[in-house]
Amino acid sequence: MGKLTYNMRKYWPLYVMALPGTLYFILFKYIPLGGSVIAFQDYSVFKGINGSPWVGFKHFTSLFEYPDFYRVLRNTLVMGFLRVTFMFAVPLILALMINEIRHSLMKKGVQTALYIPHFLSWVIIAGIAFEMTSLSGLVNTVRGWFGLESMLYMQMESYFRPIFVLTGLWKDAGWGTIIYLAALSGINPQLYEAAVVDGASRLKQILYITFPMILPTAAILFLLDIGNFMELGFEQVYNLLTPMTYSVGDIFDTYVFRTGIQQAQYSFATAVGLFQAVVGMVLVIVFNKLSKKYSNGGLW
Amino acid sequence: MRKKLFILLLTVLMVAVLAVGCSSGEEIGQNYNGTNNDSSEGETGEEEIVDIEVWSVNEGFKEIDSGSPLYEFIVDEIGVGVISPYVEWNGGKGYTNQLNMRIAAGEMPDMFLPYNGIEYDLAKNGAIEDLTDLLPEYAPNLWELIPDEVWDTVRTNDPTGEGRIYYIPAIRDYGITGGMIRQDWIDKLGLEMPTTQEEYVDVLRAFKNEDPNGNGMQDEIPTGGRENGRWMDHLFAMYGIAMFEGFPDWDIYDGELTNSAVTQNMRDALEFISELYAEGLIDQETFLNDKQAWDGKINSGLVGSYFHWTETVYDRLPQIEAGTGVKADLPVLPVPKVPGYEGFYSHEPTLGPQWVVKSGMEEEKLMATMKFLDNYANQENWEDMYYGVEGMHHKIIDGKRVLLPEDKSTQQVMDVIKAYNHFSLIDFKSNLLMEAVGEEQMEYVEQGIRNMEENQKYVKVIAGNGMPESVYNDYPDIRSNMIYQEYATKIILGEYPIEKFDEFVDRWYETGGEEVTQRARDWYDKLEK
Repeated sequence: MGKLTYNMRKYWPLYVMALPGTLYFILFKYIPLGGSVIAFQDYSVFKGINGSPWVGFKHFTSLFEYPDFYRVLRNTLVMGFLRVTFMFAVPLILALMINEIRHSLMKKGVQTALYIPHFLSWVIIAGIAFEMTSLSGLVNTVRGWFGLESMLYMQMESYFRPIFVLTGLWKDAGWGTIIYLAALSGINPQLYEAAVVDGASRLKQILYITFPMILPTAAILFLLDIGNFMELGFEQVYNLLTPMTYSVGDIFDTYVFRTGIQQAQYSFATAVGLFQAVVGMVLVIVFNKLSKKYSNGGLW
Repeated sequence: MRKKLFILLLTVLMVAVLAVGCSSGEEIGQNYNGTNNDSSEGETGEEEIVDIEVWSVNEGFKEIDSGSPLYEFIVDEIGVGVISPYVEWNGGKGYTNQLNMRIAAGEMPDMFLPYNGIEYDLAKNGAIEDLTDLLPEYAPNLWELIPDEVWDTVRTNDPTGEGRIYYIPAIRDYGITGGMIRQDWIDKLGLEMPTTQEEYVDVLRAFKNEDPNGNGMQDEIPTGGRENGRWMDHLFAMYGIAMFEGFPDWDIYDGELTNSAVTQNMRDALEFISELYAEGLIDQETFLNDKQAWDGKINSGLVGSYFHWTETVYDRLPQIEAGTGVKADLPVLPVPKVPGYEGFYSHEPTLGPQWVVKSGMEEEKLMATMKFLDNYANQENWEDMYYGVEGMHHKIIDGKRVLLPEDKSTQQVMDVIKAYNHFSLIDFKSNLLMEAVGEEQMEYVEQGIRNMEENQKYVKVIAGNGMPESVYNDYPDIRSNMIYQEYATKIILGEYPIEKFDEFVDRWYETGGEEVTQRARDWYDKLEK
């Protein structure tokens, strides 16, 4: 305790600087966390948290008893797996590739071109996807050149998940490279120089210097991401979904929107959110353990 | 030392920014109230103007803020100040979200359009005003405009079960939607107006194969609809299916009130429509068409037969003419006869709730709300309200008011005062249309009025009319028609065989259809009494 006050006195500007951030987390993250209790109530906005009756696990039971629960769970898990795999691997590979571009103007150009889609909203990107795959769209025009029949991909079950992955990558893969590129620029050039002296080719340099050096960053990003495993991004799926693809694309986020938010069933929505968060937390803990065991680094 | 000072300065700056950021909300609120006071103080001598906050549909127009042209217009016309902030509509979903949020925060608008059956909980919790005694006394115009039997339905829908009136319903005194067909194409191909299903399919086939638009390309779309299987009701109508803009509705089947989605009628209709799709007689992109895409196809003269408001041909015909040079003729399609079925276009004289009023308002505000409702329901004001603000919504040409084309970037939202749409009366509308137009548009409007009258031959009031949304409470998948849309679209596309329909019926009942049907029948029994 004595040490803390000593430190606080000595480095007080640091503590003052940390204050707004701490306040932010307390005000906007920890206090609202207390609101999660409404998952165990029949919350009514007119009665408030104090006046609403407690109902125990009722909302969790009704979630698990929902006739389509397994469909929603399956879709969420499959799509979560696809997202984590691709959104982890592709930006990493992309960053390694961009890093090898030697011409600096070219490098900047490529980077910028890859970032831009990140700033478009899902409504627009989904609109582009629907437009491109329409009968008069780019994809079907090209198919026409090869004498193939037109296909309406957006209403075909088997193409929903690939489209989900592709649009996700197009929008965010470039953005995901930023942190990797920052980490890459921090690698000591002497390592490469030594390797060149030892006669290592470019590929060997990537394999034995770049890759191992970037791995801890990758592990941390992966751990941060896995916590959101169940939250796939409502906007993306919602905007791509049609009744024809419900069976492969209906996930917890769209389900909660439909049943909880739109119907003002806040207790139920909170219960589902809590369920997702618990799954995410378990995954983070498990993977953090694994990471510490095999790569001596983790979040904590 | 200097560095320390810099850090200190930075910290102070950050805290200051934070403080300003947190309090700006309050300031806006104060300003808002401030202007209210100013305007009422400024008009001493005259009657004091009270502002009320009203929320309704706004699909991208500008808000109504204090002192703006439309605000002043409403003050002149109705004697009440109306503030209507911009709330993104987004198919009703954005609106519901924001409204729920405002209600949860205890900041309900003074008067608003309830959506998704929200009025049920509000009335139950006493959050909206009981209007039973207020309306006859303070808003007699509105009270008399809505027929007694409609008020009876509203009373039946009182969630407290005491027969009180908690909302003001929207009404229509004529069947507004119906199927339409390109008579000029029929004539050109030497065919006749179809009366049976078989003839109708033959006509569609001819539209597809015999190049009625004469451009040498097979680009005609015989018929079709929009995403989620909506706006193609004319194909369902011939099987006697109760349907509201693509949503299956409630009517008497086998002697009992039943949702048309789970009837034999629906099974047969879906089987028929899937055959049309397989033959290419329905737009292959039907289920990917949003409003814009489908309207675009109709208005560019590619579609042979479609379903919509029958009167709005006056809007489409000039566009078809401008695009293709053809003077189109778009009469109502008589519901084609199918053996064993009694076809009709569904008509709903009692629509959902249009307005509810917040409870516990100050006397002054409540009276202002009543005054708004009374004057807005006064038909003498409707023509003015139709034309809106001069220079923004209409201009004057040769002493005659002419509506300006819709422009969301400059026009303020009119829905709040569109009483003539909330309470659609055929006489008012046809008169208005006749008077509104100049010589050159007369031919289009005449077709619209012809359709309005003609369509009444084929409409039927369905038994489920006026049923409250609350029957769907706790069963969102039934309310949103999600299960129906999934199976219907897949059966039509041919991805599911028609036998899957039976699985759908089971799933529908399992997911809450059973309970909903029971509630609907209980409601119907109560209404009959």
